[in-house]
Amino acid sequence: MNLQPTEFASEKRTGQSVLGLRNATKVFGGTVALKDVSLDLRSGEVLALLGENGAGKSTCVKLLSGLYRPDQGEIVLDDVPTDLASPLDAFRRGISVVHQHPGLFGDLSVAENVFVGHMPRDKFRRLDHAAMQRRAAELLDVVGLDCDPSVPLNRLRSSEQQLVEIARALSAEARVLILDEPTAALSQREVERLFLVIQQLRTRQVAMMFVSHRMEEIYRLSDRVTVLRDGHHVATEPVSSMSRDRAVQLMVGRSLSGMYPAKDPQPGEILFEVSALGLGDVFTDVSFAVRTGEILGLGGLVGSGRTEIARVIFGIDQPTQGTMRLVGRPISFRSPSDAMAAGIAYLSEDRLGQSLVMDQAILSNATLPTIERATVAGLISATKELGLVRPDLERMKLRFRSYDQPVKTLSGGNQQKVVVAKWLATKPRLLILDEPTQGVDVQTKAEVHSLIADLARSGMAIILISSELPELIGMSDRILVLREGQVMDEVESADATPERMLKAATDAAGENGSDGNRDKHLAGTTSLPAHQEPSSPRPLNPLVSAIRRLLLKREFGLVAAMAAVIFPVAAINPRMLSGANLTALSMDAALLIIVAVAQMLVLLTRNIDLSVASVIGLSAYGAATTLHAHPELNVFAGLAVASGIGLLCGLVNGAVVTIGRVPAIVVTLGTLSVFRGIDSLWTGGKQISADQVPQAWLDLTTGRVVGVPGLVFIAAGVLLVTAFVLRSLPLGRELYAIGSNPDGAELIGIPVKRRVLGAFAVAGLLAGFDGGLWASRYATIDARVATGFELTVIACVVVGGVAIRGGAGTVLGITLGALTLLIIRNGLILIRIDPLWLEGVYGLVILGAVTINLIVTRRSQSHLRRKHR
Amino acid sequence: MKRLSWLATWDSFLGVVTIGLVLYAVIFVPGFATSFNISQAVAGMSEKALIVLPMVLLIIGREIDLSVASMLALTSVALGMLVQASVPLLPAIFIVLLFGGVLGAFNGLMVTWLGLPSLVVTLGTLAMFRGIGYILIGSRSINQFPDALTDFGINNVGETPLPWTIVPFLILAPLFAVVLQRTPIGRRIYAIGGNPDAALYSGVKTQKQRFWLFVLSGLICAIAGVVFTARLANARANNAVGFELDVITIVLLGGINVFGGRGRLTGVLWALCLIAIVRNVLGLSQIGGDAQGTVIGLILIISLLLSNSSNLLLDHFRSLLSTAARPKPGSENHSLP
Repeated sequence: MNLQPTEFASEKRTGQSVLGLRNATKVFGGTVALKDVSLDLRSGEVLALLGENGAGKSTCVKLLSGLYRPDQGEIVLDDVPTDLASPLDAFRRGISVVHQHPGLFGDLSVAENVFVGHMPRDKFRRLDHAAMQRRAAELLDVVGLDCDPSVPLNRLRSSEQQLVEIARALSAEARVLILDEPTAALSQREVERLFLVIQQLRTRQVAMMFVSHRMEEIYRLSDRVTVLRDGHHVATEPVSSMSRDRAVQLMVGRSLSGMYPAKDPQPGEILFEVSALGLGDVFTDVSFAVRTGEILGLGGLVGSGRTEIARVIFGIDQPTQGTMRLVGRPISFRSPSDAMAAGIAYLSEDRLGQSLVMDQAILSNATLPTIERATVAGLISATKELGLVRPDLERMKLRFRSYDQPVKTLSGGNQQKVVVAKWLATKPRLLILDEPTQGVDVQTKAEVHSLIADLARSGMAIILISSELPELIGMSDRILVLREGQVMDEVESADATPERMLKAATDAAGENGSDGNRDKHLAGTTSLPAHQEPSSPRPLNPLVSAIRRLLLKREFGLVAAMAAVIFPVAAINPRMLSGANLTALSMDAALLIIVAVAQMLVLLTRNIDLSVASVIGLSAYGAATTLHAHPELNVFAGLAVASGIGLLCGLVNGAVVTIGRVPAIVVTLGTLSVFRGIDSLWTGGKQISADQVPQAWLDLTTGRVVGVPGLVFIAAGVLLVTAFVLRSLPLGRELYAIGSNPDGAELIGIPVKRRVLGAFAVAGLLAGFDGGLWASRYATIDARVATGFELTVIACVVVGGVAIRGGAGTVLGITLGALTLLIIRNGLILIRIDPLWLEGVYGLVILGAVTINLIVTRRSQSHLRRKHR
Repeated sequence: MKRLSWLATWDSFLGVVTIGLVLYAVIFVPGFATSFNISQAVAGMSEKALIVLPMVLLIIGREIDLSVASMLALTSVALGMLVQASVPLLPAIFIVLLFGGVLGAFNGLMVTWLGLPSLVVTLGTLAMFRGIGYILIGSRSINQFPDALTDFGINNVGETPLPWTIVPFLILAPLFAVVLQRTPIGRRIYAIGGNPDAALYSGVKTQKQRFWLFVLSGLICAIAGVVFTARLANARANNAVGFELDVITIVLLGGINVFGGRGRLTGVLWALCLIAIVRNVLGLSQIGGDAQGTVIGLILIISLLLSNSSNLLLDHFRSLLSTAARPKPGSENHSLP
């Protein structure tokens, strides 16, 4: 539990400035995100950063963490102006950041995520897994996360991942710790634990910055408060001299009157109502009604359930409780198109991810939901398309060159106008606007506001979701405030003040009211396991649960599949287990496994190599023809030639992928043909047969050591080396990190391009090496060697559990995958099933393996989820 | 500026290269400009040309179908067996087309219902469908077909060098082009490929759309299966092995983005002509199939490298122009990073 005080910590006196901004300005396009802001983080102190959304808080965090560089002004580290070149650079200088949305690696273990970028090594420079687990366990204990550090991160819930992110920041023993809304996803108990950690870091003289919307937390933790508004620095004061009311006033700043259109609500009939609506434990018991011509505001913090309610109303998620009514009739939607048909439109908060197809034209984006109405005899008419959206776009004064211009070339504000026009064209009766003015300039904001007021006046029912209090208060007729999935307050606009709203949305009201609610929340979480008890009356015997875990493993499935083939076949045809058959089988497996390793290395990095079989063919002929021409050469020269050819091929693939930035599937589809063609030109239709190469060459693979073919030892060697590199060298873990989260890997300083190039090069080398062995084993070599083998290789790695999306796969898995495929083939041949049927069986095995894998993953995920509730 | 940017598109670049190659072949390659050769070259592309059409839609919609050649072979086998069982030709073809749709529906269900990646699913069905073909007729070949079918496979349209086998493509290609560029369905496919979430949030029934694309792929492959059977007058389980790679190469060369959402059918049609002519010219110069593959693989890689670097250059050029045109940089048309 205790953090060891470190050497340097004692050097610093409390209150000395460690890191800061001096007159920093940051501009994006035409928008000023931060203007002339100065602030400083002092050792042994917590500085709270306050401000509304868009006030410039996250820009400050990104400047201090090395993600952005200031356009003017400077970053000051230990009173010296410093250039933070990258997040990695900042990290190395002792600045740790806990991001609101962790940039972690789902496929790596929790412990590896804690230490990624600086994993502990032992005296042989190997990764010290034991030390890593131990230290990770200590850090997890500090942040209060009770989990096995060896489980993959993607098994954790988002709040737990947030705790891992905090543990990661602590692992560096940083001098500066920046916490960007770390508590947004945490439960009260987890928050308490975090506060304890922060108190300890304070005594260690760490300088901290804390960004949060929760006033209570800010007042409990911080020493000083800096308030930002519209990118400007408003005030920095000791927390003791700034009352909560004043803090809110400073944040909100401007007066509300005059900025928003005048209200003259004339609500009509009730158009839409929900009663006791709920979605799992995301939100519960939400009831409200909205009338025609009314603007209903939904307030609360990000994550309080606002967006989730909108998603249910729009048919994206299905509610678990409660009912919805439209003009009095009960309704339910299975998809957004159902909701749209009923006259509901939802403008998503995520403009980039959910509202626009960035590459496409303004007009195509604006008419996507309504395109059926813009047709003449089934064909799209540009005139009708324009007719649908032009009036609204013109009314909002869209600034653009042409309607065919891709939306990605527009500014944020203009993009939003396109989205608004898109939804207005559906002629909705109920319009849900989720953060409609997020990231848009002041001018556009005003235009959107007057448009919303016009729409309400024309009789549309509007639900407005906004994190910006003045907007919510200025626009809405009535406001519901949510906290943690529950409606906390309902306010008429006349009574609505930012203070009251903030109090309801956070727990600024003081300890009593909020803790009552938190306790309820907490009680809910702790009582649930007890509640679940009856469903599983007997506690599971450890042996049974161990067996159950084993059954859920893919490896077990493959072993079972092999057994299911071996036993019946051996009963029918005893030759299955004969020495000759096993020898042949093992040699086939060896050749397949080596190239499967190659494929896995590439797949791990989220790429694919379709050219492996052509590389095998080319290098097999290269080796055979070299030894044919120079029989005096050593067999290792033959292997060297084959490996060299392979390496060259791999480098070509890798270079085109990384330097030429062509997708791997396209590149290797091309080189599949190119390498095969070169092979064909080289052989010129000739073949090299067994009597044309030295006997020693053939003995390389078929010669036996203690009864086992040499080839098997070679393959085992390749497997062991690969397993060692992947498990025990940082290089290996970096490949997994790249496949798991390429952007995140780049961010923590992994040289992604070099690693990908390396993976392709090694894959080529291994495929070439395999080609040499192939030539030695089969002796007769022509241009058709291994044609179509790439599909078997991909089948083998897929069955072996390597993910096509990258980041996951083990050496054990592909070994079992190769053995399974080959034993099935062998078994079918031995019971005299036409070998031509094999292909069909392979296909079935691939489909079966991926389907079973999918089911197993889903089950283990839902199992975990149940355990957590 | 407008005229310049038209010239700089991928479609017109491919068109210019193709026409240049035709001119070269007419002048320098003996035997190219004969009606027999052209007819042969066109006939040889009949099935690939057909399969390219649904593949374009799938790849634009962020999916892929590797099982196309296997579906072709299996439907070809099915046609052979039906004819052998004395089913009249027209009902037999109808059943085969239906069968193709069912095969495609199987792919579609695995992708949409189970949520598996189409690359893996169709890799599995690539092997499985061909395997079913082998199970049905082994390594045998069915060679007895009604004259109506074999005539269709061999004859040309009237006195033109145009073989009948390309006619299904000539009918379908404009249909596909219109559907893709001018109808709501095309718009939705582009939207799904460009941003699946945005498509879903805009009320596009993305799963349903994906499913039907796979069904369509199966159906067209069945048509290609009938054409192939007619042209070679045989039905074998190992028909058209490896066609999928050629088809995907043509689609990607035609400028369809492998990650979906971008590309047009016109570019693909040019790529189809380009590949057909390259193969024909190389064949006339006595260069074999595998070596032809080298050239086509190189064309694919080099063209994508070119398009990447030319895009970078074009962007640079454009940004230079736009900053020169507007004295105040970054005022309006710039998006936030």
